[in-house]
This record gives sequence, structure tokens and C-alpha cells, in this order.
Amino acid sequence: MFSLALKNILFYKGRTLTTFLLSLCSTVLFVVYVAFMDGSHESMLKNSLSIYTGAIQVMHAGHYENPSYDTLLEDLPSVMQTLKEIEGIRASTPRLESFALLSSEEDSAGAMVTGIVPESEVLVSRLKEALVKGRYLDSEDSNRLYMGEELAKRLGVDLDDEVALVGSATDYSFAAERFQIIGLFKTGLFEFDASSAFVNKAYFDGLMLSEKMASSIVITVDDPEKAETVAEKISKELPEGTEVLTWKKLMASMVQAMEVDSLFGYISMGLFFIVVFFVIMIFGFINISGRIRELGLLRALGLRSSEILKLLLLEAAILAFASVLAGTVIGGYLAHFYELNPIIIKGMAETYKAYGIISDEVPTRFDLFTIAWNAMVVLLLNFLAIFYPVYYIRQFTPTEAMHHV
Amino acid sequence: MVRLEHVHKYFNKDTQREVHALDDVSLVIEDGEFTVITGTSGCGKTTLLNAIGALDSVDSGRITIDETEITKLDERERAALRLQDIGFVFQAYNLIPVLNVAENIGFIMKLQGYHHEAIEKRIREVAMILEMDHRLSAMPNELSGGQQQRVAVARAVAAKPKLLLADEPTANLDSKNSQRLMQMMKSLNEIEKTTILFASHDDYVMEMSRREIILSDGHVEKM
Ligand SMILES: Nc1ncnc2c1ncn2[C@@H]1O[C@H](COP(=O)(O)OP(=O)(O)OP(=O)(O)O)[C@@H](O)[C@H]1O
Ligand SMILES: [Mg+2]
Repeated sequence: MFSLALKNILFYKGRTLTTFLLSLCSTVLFVVYVAFMDGSHESMLKNSLSIYTGAIQVMHAGHYENPSYDTLLEDLPSVMQTLKEIEGIRASTPRLESFALLSSEEDSAGAMVTGIVPESEVLVSRLKEALVKGRYLDSEDSNRLYMGEELAKRLGVDLDDEVALVGSATDYSFAAERFQIIGLFKTGLFEFDASSAFVNKAYFDGLMLSEKMASSIVITVDDPEKAETVAEKISKELPEGTEVLTWKKLMASMVQAMEVDSLFGYISMGLFFIVVFFVIMIFGFINISGRIRELGLLRALGLRSSEILKLLLLEAAILAFASVLAGTVIGGYLAHFYELNPIIIKGMAETYKAYGIISDEVPTRFDLFTIAWNAMVVLLLNFLAIFYPVYYIRQFTPTEAMHHV
Repeated sequence: MVRLEHVHKYFNKDTQREVHALDDVSLVIEDGEFTVITGTSGCGKTTLLNAIGALDSVDSGRITIDETEITKLDERERAALRLQDIGFVFQAYNLIPVLNVAENIGFIMKLQGYHHEAIEKRIREVAMILEMDHRLSAMPNELSGGQQQRVAVARAVAAKPKLLLADEPTANLDSKNSQRLMQMMKSLNEIEKTTILFASHDDYVMEMSRREIILSDGHVEKM
């Protein structure tokens, strides 16, 4: 039976070739397409996380929804100590955010002024790499500001200029100080660059009366995919009243945008598959209806109709498996190859910086599980496509089939 | 032995186009016969052969082959009976296009589960009788009409069926090829003792056969 099926496949070359190539190309296209899509999403997300957000943030309960000085983390040293002992955490750093008014001689603007620990901040974000002018903060710095380039433009200030900060300390008392700009940065995230400035937390704590306090602790993990499990561990170790947020929550709008983007990707792939499905089905149908006489003969000779069914399914299965396997190998190889040697499009990073793209390389994601389910989809398509032709042939009795022209 | 008792077969029963294709047919065919069923076109020859060969069901009456009453079998059992006990040669399109001559001849035996070597041996044996042994690896579309029919006969007899049914096997052949085919079938009937039943109105077939059954409008006119 198997050898007869194989011989039929080799004999009816037209159908075999179209079905094989079509199914192979769909598999390759699907695998590569999904690899690019997932790859770019993943890298956009990773980049965005690595610029500032981090994979996990620890806050006082309620602070994320409604940030205020009433919901600051306290007893910071002991919390930091606890975090040090948790497995899976690569680095962590506290931040103290304060909304304040910055004024230069020319202009003033509201800004998020954040106290950071310079040496541990470099382990969780790209603030230091984003430097464009001057220098990054260090732990000895006093009233020095590391400011977004766009914010500096708004204030009409440049390196070494002074700005005045007016805000409120954590006890809601009045806080004011003059700061000198020692560095300008540009992450590419426009909103961020236009509203952020950073201060050495050790100094800032004196001004804001926030010693041993923080708005959030930013954490990076070894594997962002496993952020959830690490977050659970953290929750268990920290006292009640703290909230542990992963990037999925922190970047909810971006994650959602990507899901929508994926959905559109799958829909366009789906439309393509509908066409493929019908082409495979039509070729299957033409093939089988051209063989009615032959199949009638087989039944006249004593094959049961279930055996004919088996034969036809076997033919479809061999074709499907061979083409999908070949397609998966080729597609998988391409995905793997491009993951290691990304395609480079000059100028892409410049154009799409705001979306978190920081390199000209087109990122590709090689993931066996994804490839496996991609292959399953095309395989399923092949099987569905044979049903109608098989159903059609089954309505003939052997004698009718033998007389069919 | 094949026995038919009061067999009736209708097409399009109870409609305007009703045809009484077999009308109370009763006859007996003994083992080893070499018999032709003849009659004008449309008299019911094909219908009769298909009924005997369990290809088609009948409306009433009884058909038995040896002890098996085939009119009682369901579709599955009839398929099994065709495979095990009956050899068919049709007027045309007899061969499986994707298989070569040897594979076509051995096809039934293979389905019956014979051992590879036994099949090979038998293929050579029957191919010799039918003078196809020099073309064993040819594909059906490379053969002439006469050669194709000989391969069909070879396949039908290879598995040693109880009964060989041949529906106008010579209809598409010229007289020289018809004679050749009939001679070979006659030798098969003599050497292998195969029971052979033809449907034909070819003069040469009637001449060669030892018994003639004449059908007319679905009933037996002469036995
Ligand atoms: N599938 C069918 N549907 C309806 N009528 C049929 C069918 N098959 C055969 N008939 C009718 O049954 C009668 C007998 O047909 P059958 O094919 O047995 O004749 P035949 O003797 O083999 O003729 P021929 O010599 O032309 O092959 C004819 O009148 C034919 O029209
Ligand atoms: Mg006929």
C-alpha cells in the first residue's frame, strides 16, 4: 500500500510538484516570517526594557497605579539585602522619583527628577550608554544633573549651565536647589528624553529627606522570559505591602501593541494560507477526479473502499510530511542563520529609534517550539485540503467509477 | 461451480426509465468451463457478469459460487470475495497505470499476502503463457492494446481464481490480436483448469468457446 502510494506520487508529477512546492514554500515563509516577527518584537521589548524599565520593579503597594510620597519603599537597606539573596536576579538598583519644576534663565519646565545610585544603575539600564555630551554621574556627585537632551533644549540650557529645581521633599516640605548640568543623554525615546533628569541619590536624599527610601527598585534578571518566576520568589521574600511588577505589566501598552501587530501578521498569513489551501485542494481534486476509473478498478479488483481512502490519505500524508519537513528544515535553517547573522538595513535604527530599535540589524528569533507549531499548521492545512476530494470519490460505486469518463 | 437461480436486476427501479436488465436468469456453470455469454448490445451481458463477480448487487434471486451465497454478502465481504476468488478482465483500462507489467500481474497476489518469491515465480509462469515475459518492466502506457489485455489476463489468473470473468476482452483488438488472446486463454483453461466466462459478441470468441449462452432482453434464450 505504501509503495503504491509512493508510486502514485511519483507518477502524477503535476499534482505532486505543485503540492510539494506550495506546501514547502508556505512552511518556509511561515517559519521565517514568524521568526522575524517574534525576533523584532522580542528585541524591541528587550531594548525598551534595557533602556530604563528593567525586567522587574519592586514598589510599595499602590505606588504603580498612583505614585505619591505616601507610597514609598522604606527601610531600603534591608530590602536590598533580601534581594541580593534571591536567585535569578542579575542586578538591582533603587530610584527615587520626584516631579519638580526646573528653571533656567530662559525657560522652565516640569520634569521627572530621579535620584539614582550611579554605579548600580549602570547594571540595569542604558542611561550611561545614552550619554551624548559631558559625563555620567558618579557617587561623589552633589548638585549635578544628568539631563535628557530634549529637556535641555526645552530649557535652553547646555552643558555646565545651571538650573534651579523647585519641588517638594518627601515630607511635603519645600525643597529647592541649584544644579549644574554635567551630562546630556539621548535614549531615542523622545518623551523620556524630554522630561527626565538624574541626580546622585546619595545627595538627592539629603535634599528630599528620603534617606533609606525609594520609589522603586529596578531589577534585571538572567532570563526575561522567566521574570514571572523570579517575581514570585521576590514577592515571597519581601514583607507585605510591597508590590512586584514584571515587564509584562510595566510595558503593558507595548506588549499589547505587539500582540495586535502579531495578530495582523497572523491574519495576513491566514489569508495566504486560505489561498494555499484551495490550490492544494484543487490540485488534489483534479488529480483524484482524473483517477476515478483507476480507483474504480482497484475496488473492482477487491480493495475495500476504506483501503482506497487509506491510499489517498497516505499519498496526501507522504506529500505533506515530506514538504513540511523540507520546509521546516529550510525555514528553520534560515531563521537560525539570520539569528546569528542578522540582515542589516542601513539607517533602520535611526528611523525607528522611537520604537526601541537600536541597531541596523533585523533581529530574528530561532525557536524550535514556534517552528514546530508553524509546521503543524501547514501539515494540518494539507490534510484538510484532501477531505473534499476524498469525500467526492467515495460516492461512486466500483462499476460507476469504471465507466466514468 | 456457479449457480444462478431466478436472478432479477433492475436499473432505475420504479421510475420512468426503469430497465429490467436481468429477467429471471437461472443457469449453472461447472468448474473448468470455457463459456461465452452472447447477445445483442444492451441485452444484459455486462450486468450478468458484474452480478456473478459480486461487483453489483441484484434485486432478487440467488447466486452461489461453490458454497458461498454471494447475494447475501455485504459490500466488505463482496470486496474480499472479488479479491480472493474472482479474476476480472474488462474491455479496457484494466491496468494500474503506475505499476509496471510485473507489478500489475503480481498485484492481486500481493494484496492476498503471498510471499515475495512465490509472486515472482508465478509472474514469470503466467507471463510465459501469455508471451509477456520479455516486457515485464514496461509501463502500461508503453504497451499496445493487445499486450495490455494479455497483462490483464495474466493478472486475473495469477492468483488462481475460482472463476475468471472477461467482459468483451477482445472488443478493442484487431482480429489477429483477438485470436492470439483467445488462444492463450484457451491454453490457460486447459493447463491451469481455470473456469472462464466471457461476455462477447466477437465471432472468434464464440467459435473458440465450448458453450454458448445467449441472452436476449435480460433473459436466457439459449443455454
Ligand atoms: N448503470 C446503469 N444505469 C441504468 N441502466 C443501465 C446501467 N447499466 C446498464 N443499464 C441498462 O441495462 C441494460 C443491460 O446493459 P448491459 O450493459 O448489461 O448490456 P450489454 O449486454 O453488456 O451490452 P453491450 O454489448 O453493449 O456491452 C441496458 O439496457 C442498459 O441500458
Ligand atoms: Mg457490456
